[in-house]
Amino acid sequence: MTDNVAPNRLAGRGAADRTRPTMAGPLAGVRIIEMGQLIAIPWAMKMLADMGAQVIRFESCQRMEGYRGDSLYKNDVEGETWNRGANFYEHNRNKLGITLDLSKAQGLDILRELIAVADVFAENFTPRVIKNFKLEYEDLRSIKPDIIMVSSTGYGYTGPWANYGATGPATEGASGLAYMTGYVDGPPVLPEIPYTDYTAGEHTVFAVMAALVHRFRTGNGQFVDVSQTQTAAVTVPEALMDYAANKRIEPRMGNGHSSMAPHGCYPCQGDDRWITIAVENDSQWQSLCRVMGQDEWAGDSRFADALSRWRNRRELDELLGKVTAEWDAIRLTHELQAAGVAAGAVLDAKDMLFNPHLKERGFYEVISHHPSTGMPPLPYASRPWKLSLTPSVDRTAGPLMGEHNRLVLSDLLGHTVDELAGWEEEGIIGYAPTNPRAVQRPSLDEQVRQGRMQRYETDFEEQVAKAYPPPQAG
Amino acid sequence: MSAGALEGVKVLDLTHHIAGPWCTKLMADYGAEVLKVERPGGDPARRMPPFFHDEVDAEKSLLFHYLNTNKRGVTLNLKDRRGVRMLKELAADADILVENFSPRVMPSLGLDFSAMHETNPALVMVSISNFGQTGPYRDYRATDIVEYALGGLMYIFGAYDREPLKHALHQAQFKAGTDAASASLIAFYHQQLSGQGQQVDVSIHECVASGLRDVVNNFTYTGAVRRRQPNHSGDLTRVRATSDGYILPNPGVSAGINWQLVVDHMGVPQLDDEKFSSASARLVNAEELGEILDTHFRTQQKAEVFHDAHRQRFIYGMIQSPEDALSDPQFEARGFFVDVDHPATGVVKHPGPPFLMNGTPWQVRRPAPTLGQDNQEVLGQQLGNSDGELSLMRALGVI
Repeated sequence: MTDNVAPNRLAGRGAADRTRPTMAGPLAGVRIIEMGQLIAIPWAMKMLADMGAQVIRFESCQRMEGYRGDSLYKNDVEGETWNRGANFYEHNRNKLGITLDLSKAQGLDILRELIAVADVFAENFTPRVIKNFKLEYEDLRSIKPDIIMVSSTGYGYTGPWANYGATGPATEGASGLAYMTGYVDGPPVLPEIPYTDYTAGEHTVFAVMAALVHRFRTGNGQFVDVSQTQTAAVTVPEALMDYAANKRIEPRMGNGHSSMAPHGCYPCQGDDRWITIAVENDSQWQSLCRVMGQDEWAGDSRFADALSRWRNRRELDELLGKVTAEWDAIRLTHELQAAGVAAGAVLDAKDMLFNPHLKERGFYEVISHHPSTGMPPLPYASRPWKLSLTPSVDRTAGPLMGEHNRLVLSDLLGHTVDELAGWEEEGIIGYAPTNPRAVQRPSLDEQVRQGRMQRYETDFEEQVAKAYPPPQAG
Repeated sequence: MSAGALEGVKVLDLTHHIAGPWCTKLMADYGAEVLKVERPGGDPARRMPPFFHDEVDAEKSLLFHYLNTNKRGVTLNLKDRRGVRMLKELAADADILVENFSPRVMPSLGLDFSAMHETNPALVMVSISNFGQTGPYRDYRATDIVEYALGGLMYIFGAYDREPLKHALHQAQFKAGTDAASASLIAFYHQQLSGQGQQVDVSIHECVASGLRDVVNNFTYTGAVRRRQPNHSGDLTRVRATSDGYILPNPGVSAGINWQLVVDHMGVPQLDDEKFSSASARLVNAEELGEILDTHFRTQQKAEVFHDAHRQRFIYGMIQSPEDALSDPQFEARGFFVDVDHPATGVVKHPGPPFLMNGTPWQVRRPAPTLGQDNQEVLGQQLGNSDGELSLMRALGVI
């Protein structure tokens, strides 16, 4: 087991802390207690953990985190499935993991001990749950006066909808974003990921940092109330202000643009291959005609200038799609970009993983898993930023269930091994879910037959290991 | 009222369009002192719709107004060495500099990181670009749709049998602005502790690629490549039309709730049938199920369905139009929309805070700057140039 308890420089608790200077990121010394689930809070805390914060994530053995039971490695539902979920590892690296049953008084007492040595407490449950456990900001402040508490809820911690649970699609719907998105003349379309959970996570990283900066300068903590719906609504001002000022709602435009044409997604050679193209001006249009060998378009008065192209965009899209269909999407991307035209192939999962640009930038980082999982080291998406001086900490995989119980409860909080054994007996802590659920997905052949997967490749392990070799020891 | 969380943090803002201005607006709205430097012709976002009352005017773009609240504004021609010199004078006193030119621009102006670092070793310099400051795509062009395509979000977005789709508007730009604001503060926090500035490279492309669930890891975990899903008509969580819009049902079946509860909750007797009681039966009878559900929802109002469901703890969603959002009681109770008074338009409602901080308010202290609004005060008084010098610089196109 790795000891990666970082020094808690700002909170000033020392004795049990040990320093690992080689892995200190810019946030070394910040201790975060995470009561997170799924994406919104876990994603944000992962980013802060990457930058050196010590994130202690607690979870329940009695009510298992949903992502521990789905998207399992090799779809294998035997054994300790809860330590093999893709989306759990995707959102929880570099964290310490403990288990606590908050329905028992001792479980809550332990949590309060953790809060007493924490800088930040972050959670994404409904206010009803937080009130039931007496974990509101005022409660925490009586334990740790300068605590920063972050609540991330679907619609906000206050207001008539405060206790409404929410999914990503629900907050995307409430924000106005979903209403604007969809094919021309069709209904609203939502993406197939809980998109606004990530939007909320992005804003939560910023919120925690703003609160930390303020605390560093003044010594004061505070309560941060993140409404996932509001974090999405602030990203669609064009639509909300057009209505507020002009009482106008633009129709859904598919992939179209309010002034550019061509601007869309066009078929290419192969099964389900596509390219996006966005032409901003006349010279780019001429370049596109040249690259694609279409001299007659270059001289066609229907497409001569931006306004004509926009007016005749449907004809233009149809003509363009017939020609792109003869091209390889990646090759056309490079040729158009070389001529100064914005274009990009629609990349699938494998394209992303092996994309030369992301590869050169080291975007996917290889992380080793605990030997008990039987999983090889695997690449995961990293961060959207690169800091020249303080890049990120060494990488450890998300915790096994209860992996750091002893490190945190004993080494940090000073409880004895006997106490821990007693708590385990009483079910206050544990190392496995009491009621494991593992989603058995259909076989890959069946998933392809149903159209859920485009294809699968049986030699994926060799491909991944070759492109992303295990990290060097030491 | 107390000041914002970032009071006293000095940001020099060289950004334009959306991603950069959104980054600096976030910091400004939470209290940072942001000075926006525009080219003499103005930020191109001044020409982006929507416009107030459709009056196409560099001072009436609502998008520009929104993205630039709480900033002071000056103009500087950075292609002129006097402009560059004044910029460096301003940078000497800043904590964070944010720019979103294409990667070749700042070095070509003599303003690369090493030059800025020499001017101010504690400066955090944040660069936002389409594909980052390095790598084979560094100089590639992009708009939002290209970022969606190359960022992996588009392939799994849209109808099974149609072309992939992107979100409306400028989501990739906003994601990047938020991520850049986070990265700015992470580096600034380090600067506060160590006194050291550094360079921050934010790639819009990677902002899209860092928020994908079950995509790349489907391949690394199973070898499968996920695609746009066949959304069959009996799918219980499919978007359904109501009499006045759209609802996102979520009767909890995937969470293991039994069918009888769903039947009771929806109150549709035809659903009480073996044809629908298991997942496999629902797949076989998808079309019939879809028709029943369509008919059920089509006669109801979305808000009623939404609140009824939540009373029973079914976490439905409601698709709100901009009009709905402006009168949404939840937004209203939280004071989300705020009135901002700009000299060119009068009062207009803006979307407000993404999150609330109980100790340090989000607030609009001033509207977006008119072009060159603060030249006199900043370039004149602050940098010690006389009125005569300013006039000369204006005549020479420096400001």
